[in-house]
Amino acid sequence: MVGLHTWAGVCVGTLLFVIFWMGSLSVFDREIDRWMMPATRLPAPSGPPSLDATVLPVAARLAGGASPWTIVLPSARVPAIELRYTDAQGEPVRRHIDPASGALLPEAGSLGASGFFFPFHFRLHLRFADIGYWLVGVAGMAMLVLLVSGVIVHRRIFSDFFTFRPRRALPRATLDVHNLSGVLALPFHFVITLSGLIIFFAIYFPSAYQMAYAGAAVAPRAAFDRDAFGTWQRPASGQPGQLASLDAMLATARDTWQGREAYFVRVWHPGDAAAYVELRRSVAEGIPMNVDRLVFDGASGRLLHRHKAQPVMAVQRFIAGLHFIQFRHGLLRALYFVAGLAGCVMIASGLLFWLAARRRRAGGVGMRLVDALTVGGTTGTILATLAFLIANRVLPGDGAARAALEMQVFFAVWVLGFCHAGLRPEGAWRVQSRAIGVAAAVAVVLNALTTGMHPLAAMAGGQWAVAGVDGVLLLTAALAWGVARRGGRQPASAASAVAGADHG
Amino acid sequence: MTRRAGLIVSRVLAAVGAGYAFTASVVALVAVALPAIFGMARSEAVVLAAMLGFVIYLLALLWAAVEPRLWWVWAGLIGGAAVSWALSLAARLPVAG
Repeated sequence: MVGLHTWAGVCVGTLLFVIFWMGSLSVFDREIDRWMMPATRLPAPSGPPSLDATVLPVAARLAGGASPWTIVLPSARVPAIELRYTDAQGEPVRRHIDPASGALLPEAGSLGASGFFFPFHFRLHLRFADIGYWLVGVAGMAMLVLLVSGVIVHRRIFSDFFTFRPRRALPRATLDVHNLSGVLALPFHFVITLSGLIIFFAIYFPSAYQMAYAGAAVAPRAAFDRDAFGTWQRPASGQPGQLASLDAMLATARDTWQGREAYFVRVWHPGDAAAYVELRRSVAEGIPMNVDRLVFDGASGRLLHRHKAQPVMAVQRFIAGLHFIQFRHGLLRALYFVAGLAGCVMIASGLLFWLAARRRRAGGVGMRLVDALTVGGTTGTILATLAFLIANRVLPGDGAARAALEMQVFFAVWVLGFCHAGLRPEGAWRVQSRAIGVAAAVAVVLNALTTGMHPLAAMAGGQWAVAGVDGVLLLTAALAWGVARRGGRQPASAASAVAGADHG
Repeated sequence: MTRRAGLIVSRVLAAVGAGYAFTASVVALVAVALPAIFGMARSEAVVLAAMLGFVIYLLALLWAAVEPRLWWVWAGLIGGAAVSWALSLAARLPVAG
């Protein structure tokens, strides 16, 4: 079990760190979106907007005949209406609309946290053949194996909880950090990993629906989705048609769902006589990520189809909801963020312990590789994240090209971080910690300079999302800087110092 | 490659590869057996089977790591996969519509 724990950890540790880091950021993706998309820093919406008056004209002009186009309604965390469609080149487009005036806001020119960190968390931006999902799945299963074997190799799990000796020799102090963060957040780590895997059950175990729906009239996956998720469709007629009132459909939905609001409105075949409108219920009201759906006839506004999860599916959606934390609970969301970062600390300190325990012996090529991967994958990932935020505030231009450039900055800095760690392994993490300290502070200053909203102004204006992101960035700067200084003077505390840096 | 390294590679392949084949087959069997035996809705059985799959795979991985007889790991996982796949083919119900 000790061998299993060590080698599974060394092999997937860096990948797991990246997944935990991106997941922790995704907990506050909407808040980071406000920071990265200044035009959407609007006051909280007072009530549901009129879609017929504000959104329909804009959607008809922009999305035209693109099928489908989708309106995500404003919420407590996202004050703007979001319009999503696919443009003539087949590229997905996200635009924001002010719900109060119906004005189309300028293009964000950024994927934001919800478009970059969040997909990074579960598919690593590797779309080809779902390879990203599978890598994350392998890492997730390895994480479960690590947690179980980690508990078994700990004969003194209770006393580990109260043991931290930062002044002891490096390997001992690192192992204490690893044990402490691992034991403290063990239930969270187990549930978050298992629930994360269960979200994608259909990707990881396609054999279930393939066998159960073999011989169906449509493809097995489509037949399963129809039963489980209530997908409903019909072809376009080719005849022109008018869309009935979307506001009336929202009102019907509110009645059907006992006062619960819709989350998005999707119009299929707009402008066609066979157009239909799909409404999904908000997931902000309770833990389960419900799959409640209503389908209306576009021309008459008549209800065509309704779906609600069956019992086992409802359990799956509850588990998914525990992972997604889309429900309204600020304190719990903050705890998720902290527990996720505790996972980052546990993973990084585990890798550091492996390295520190071997540094005194002969270090081979394999060790140097793990060394570079660990530094580039931990401090390098944090640095690339901050470079992404800085790029967001300084890059010129707009639209999809700018958003792509922002991503390239992330990957360029990430590659540089790995190269730096590989070429100058001596104290590489300390240099990168210092760079993190500078970059985090620069991001706050740039936000104030380019948007005029420094943290105090953000607080005074009720923009808590912006103030919160700035606050965490300043905390990161202070921590990383202090860590690099302390670590430089006193090698024995380096491990706890690096662990502290990861807290940003 | 030394004999020791070869044994480790073999064990990892058995755990990850044969373990997945075993799990996917058991998942398929559960997905068709629950509707056939208990009349459970087909989509519900698919979701339940696939969710159980993660626990089954975890147990298979851990067993493959600790079982001292490596040949028994391979035989157990591949044999179990073959048997459950054959059973799931036999238990399959025709789809209406």
